[in-house]
Amino acid sequence: MRFLALLRKELRESLPWLLLAGLLLLGVGLLRLGPLNRFSTVEYWQYTNGLTPGETVDPHRLLRPGLLRWPGLWLAWMAPALGLILGVRHFWMPLFTRTWSFLLHRSAARPTILWAKLTAATAGLVLSLGASWTFLYWYARRPEVFPIPESAKALASGWIYIALGLVIYLGTAVSALSTARWYTTRIFGLAFAAVATLFILSLWNLTWIITLTILTLAILLSQTIAAFLDREF
Amino acid sequence: MSEIVLETKDLTKYYGATPALDHLDLQIPRGSICGFLGRNGAGKTTAIKMMLGLLHPTAGSAALLGCDSAALTPAVRQRIGYVTEGHRLFRWMSIAKLERFQRAFFPEQWDDRFFGDMIEYFELSKKQKIKHLSNGQRAQVSLALALAPNPELLIMDDPTLGLDAAIRRQFLEGMIELITRQGRTVLFSSHILADVERVADRVVVVDRGRLRADCSLETFRASVRKVIAKFPNTAPSEAQIEGLLHCRHSERQLEMTLVDVGDAEVADWARQAGAEGYEFIEMNLEDQFIEFTAPPNHRRLFQWEEVE
Repeated sequence: MRFLALLRKELRESLPWLLLAGLLLLGVGLLRLGPLNRFSTVEYWQYTNGLTPGETVDPHRLLRPGLLRWPGLWLAWMAPALGLILGVRHFWMPLFTRTWSFLLHRSAARPTILWAKLTAATAGLVLSLGASWTFLYWYARRPEVFPIPESAKALASGWIYIALGLVIYLGTAVSALSTARWYTTRIFGLAFAAVATLFILSLWNLTWIITLTILTLAILLSQTIAAFLDREF
Repeated sequence: MSEIVLETKDLTKYYGATPALDHLDLQIPRGSICGFLGRNGAGKTTAIKMMLGLLHPTAGSAALLGCDSAALTPAVRQRIGYVTEGHRLFRWMSIAKLERFQRAFFPEQWDDRFFGDMIEYFELSKKQKIKHLSNGQRAQVSLALALAPNPELLIMDDPTLGLDAAIRRQFLEGMIELITRQGRTVLFSSHILADVERVADRVVVVDRGRLRADCSLETFRASVRKVIAKFPNTAPSEAQIEGLLHCRHSERQLEMTLVDVGDAEVADWARQAGAEGYEFIEMNLEDQFIEFTAPPNHRRLFQWEEVE
């Protein structure tokens, strides 16, 4: 009951941002995909690959993923941006509004309060960007609509972007919970998350991407837990 | 002796090399209404936050309802009401949403009727959002939220700060409502000494991080006294009397603030010092507090040059 009350509060506080992000991604995706399903196969590939009528098509080009490439680029920056916003909302704003004291004196253990925030952030990212992305994938993989449906790899890459949003969220939390000065160690959490995100985005090997994402999440999660449980408010 | 519900032992907090609170020893028995007094920066908020486990002591410890403050369990927190300084609540919530949020943490204790009555008494509507409330109204909501679970111990950090006289009166009446419930203990810090005088039966005074007084209000009122002694010729610049806090002298007068000095001792001193007479000056609690916590070398803010 306490956890649910805390979770509801955190979700409600983030709701405008979650809706905005989810709808924006959906809008961008549908704007891109919407016109495509009206084309014939040839017109479609002309449209997506810049081919001219009569041009010989290399069969390998047909295997290139393309349908979700543009929405994917949007997701690649939107997920970290949403992670940053949620991190600020959950851990930074209470410092400015001075509501930590009120919140922490509720009859709930500190880990419960923290888990409510982390669950709200994860659920928020999953329900807004994750749901929109999964819907776009479902829309793009229907053979009756698109000649060559989008591969499952596109779905996975989107979910990795969403996991990177969580990386930035935790980095923001670590920085917000630090009591050091900005120009000293306080920036480390956010800087580490940003560098790790850029590095992971530069990789191609899916195994490495997943491994490093999990590792980064584990490091930042342990730092967030340690900082939150021990911090003075 | 009645049960101790709030206890600190050598409670100390340093920020860097600066002491915010220095070896505070307190024992507040059940049923006390304790005014926690001190000037700005005296260490009141720091002490309260350490009592509630929101700050870590540099040394010493605190215990509320027998539980170490560093490890207050949710079950113990449930029995403690806390009104934060500035009444910081979630601005986006309406009073009704805040009530629902708060109720979730006190499933068995929450008194719906009491909360509703208090909101009605304060002439507020549950539909109002916190961000649209004035500072005074936020204070009222804050008090109602803290009282509705019927806490055994209520801790309030300067709850009447910034409130006008009418709202303060309402707030205090709300507080008295709690006090009338048997066995409740209240610790509240305040700068409004008239409020303290009205409701408190005990005062704790901290000054620059150190405990200066912990006694009943009557004892404090009786202990801090001001005496003006008149001399036939020039008044001495100093007085040798135990319990002297400050003295100011003008040409033929010596004004002294004394603590724990009896009538007989004052009479003896006056005779020895050659005073031709003396009188005790009536002081209210605010005057007593200001004299009691004034620095030893305190000077007037403006010192006008006397014009011959």
